Amino acid sequence: MTNLNFVPDAPNGLGHTASSSYLPLSDNPLAARSTSPGITDKQERVLTATNVRKGYSIGGEKRWVLDGVDFHVDAGECVFLSGPSGSGKSTLLSIIGCLLESDEGEIHLAGQRADQLNVAERTKLRRNNIGFVFQRFQLIRGLSAKDNVAVPLSLQGHSLQEARLMATEILARVGLEMHRDQLPTQMSPGQCQRVALARAVVSSPRLLLADEPTAALDRQSGYEVMVLLRELLQATNSATVVVTHDPRISEFADRICEIENGRLR
Amino acid sequence: MLWNIAFRTLFHDRGKLLAGLVGVIFSVVLVNIQGGLFFGLIRKASLLVDESNADIWVGHRGMHNVDFPHDIPERWIHRIRSIEGVQEAQPMRIAFSEISLPNGGHEGTMIVGLKPGTDLGRAYEIQQGPQEALDHVDGVVVDVCDDAKLMDPKIGSVREIGASRAVVSGKCYGVLSFLVTPYVFTTYDRSVEFSGGDPTMTSYFLVRTEPGVDAQIVCDEISRRLDDVSAMTSEEFADMSINYWLTRTGLGLSFGAATALGLLVGLVMVAQTLYAMVLDRISEFATLKALGSKEAEILLLLGAQSSLVAIVGIVIGIALSVLIRFLFSTPRAEIMFSQGLYAGSAVIVFVICLAASGLPYLRVRKVDPHSILQG
Ligand SMILES: Nc1ncnc2c1ncn2[C@@H]1O[C@H](COP(=O)(O)OP(=O)(O)OP(=O)(O)O)[C@@H](O)[C@H]1O
Ligand SMILES: [Mg+2]
Repeated sequence: MTNLNFVPDAPNGLGHTASSSYLPLSDNPLAARSTSPGITDKQERVLTATNVRKGYSIGGEKRWVLDGVDFHVDAGECVFLSGPSGSGKSTLLSIIGCLLESDEGEIHLAGQRADQLNVAERTKLRRNNIGFVFQRFQLIRGLSAKDNVAVPLSLQGHSLQEARLMATEILARVGLEMHRDQLPTQMSPGQCQRVALARAVVSSPRLLLADEPTAALDRQSGYEVMVLLRELLQATNSATVVVTHDPRISEFADRICEIENGRLR
Repeated sequence: MLWNIAFRTLFHDRGKLLAGLVGVIFSVVLVNIQGGLFFGLIRKASLLVDESNADIWVGHRGMHNVDFPHDIPERWIHRIRSIEGVQEAQPMRIAFSEISLPNGGHEGTMIVGLKPGTDLGRAYEIQQGPQEALDHVDGVVVDVCDDAKLMDPKIGSVREIGASRAVVSGKCYGVLSFLVTPYVFTTYDRSVEFSGGDPTMTSYFLVRTEPGVDAQIVCDEISRRLDDVSAMTSEEFADMSINYWLTRTGLGLSFGAATALGLLVGLVMVAQTLYAMVLDRISEFATLKALGSKEAEILLLLGAQSSLVAIVGIVIGIALSVLIRFLFSTPRAEIMFSQGLYAGSAVIVFVICLAASGLPYLRVRKVDPHSILQG
């Protein structure tokens, strides 16, 4: 059963107010995680997907990539999605991220039936509730780190000045204060992914989706990004889904779901 | 923020920006120079009227173009002079003749005969020779710009026009006919000699009205008293002369077609540049969509980029046009600019640039934000 009545209206404080809203950071992310509040059975359910099916017709024959997937994430929870290549991880992420429509099934996201919305409504749902981290960062080349992070805030209607201020704050949180005016081409991959991470959480989304966030990074940078991700999630209390192949980072998961033959195991 | 993204991504890719700018500048310069040449040329069709110092032109009722008059009796001038509101009225003769050249050849000319002691019809200003050049016995005024056609006449050069002796006593600058025949200004009486014809007949009456008098009312009164003439204000007659050449020669059409073709090239260049810019960053548009940009915002972003390219290009283009006119405009091929031309070229090119952003938008519209998750 879903728990949709239990949706608070107010967004989390991160980014919207001063940095005082951030939770204190711990040096050890795992320690921070174990003491983090709210990983209890009382957690609010942010996303519920029921019996999701998605298939592609190839040569007139329908092939189901997702064949009856049931999935859920709670606020503050970090779920890893793994499975072999081509198993449909990105497809599922796109569907719960309202980027792609499922053929069947129900998606409840932040109190709305996402699968019944039209394109404009889904765009709005995305802009107000979902943060994305991509494998290849997907930063805008012409914009400085600060302005890249400011994009989601501006789309939500904040003024440029306000958005930049908040972006600068969160860049400091990911250790890039000195790099805030640099272009993506002037930063290392690890730094770029930290900028992308900052962009994803700056508006305190209810749901954070990451597709292979460490795949383009070396071991050390990948680890650092995951540490930061967990730290930031504590402050935003976002429900998080991370698609990954990378066994080195599985320690960061609260729960790991595996896709096989179109279903979750 | 949209402006910020539009501006920064545009200036991030300087090479493509430059290519787009070249397209816009090309279009603007083309429209201005083509337009300027057109207005410079067509102005000659009404130059005699524009510079005549007259408020009203009276000619045969079928008159349609200042260079091709039809004879009217000169004695009618008295009836015009007696009309209330007329300050001064003078006859003016325009007739074809031939002028002899030093090499024994001839050149067709347009003889313009003016009454002495008045500035009515005096379309020229003396640049070489005495101010009252026509006071000279046998004196004529020709234009410096016709030197080649008349084989370099100097002040004091003797020529023969219609079997009579003529002395070049003054030269003006830039008073050129729309036709290839040079204007030769002389006194009214000498023009009768030069061109032959009936001395009791004339081409036009030029009228100056008294200050504060409505020229249109005087025109109506002249037409009422003289059945066989047409009286119109100088502006009307100038327009009529211009329209005559525009409609008879298809000049407007050919200039217009050349300009439209140039605009098309400019449009393609701008559209192509914007398209190439967008193709280059198609995944950025997918990202913006994934982050929740509405279609309208994407369209606005592309429109903003086009507008930026357009505005910068228009400013540079107009500056370049002015420079080209400064360097290359001569009375023979005059480039005549006006505020209207600047504004017109700016508006046309701006609209074209906005339209040009439609092409990349068609591509961006098809971008599926889901695509960035597919590797
Ligand atoms: N537009 C499409 N048309 C046809 N088949 C598609 C389309 N998009 C995805 N697929 C298929 O759906 C399946 C799942 O793709 P998806 O990208 O979700 O896999 P994945 O688990 O993310 O793989 P990877 O680990 O390689 O990223 C693949 O077999 C792919 O070929
Ligand atoms: Mg994938």
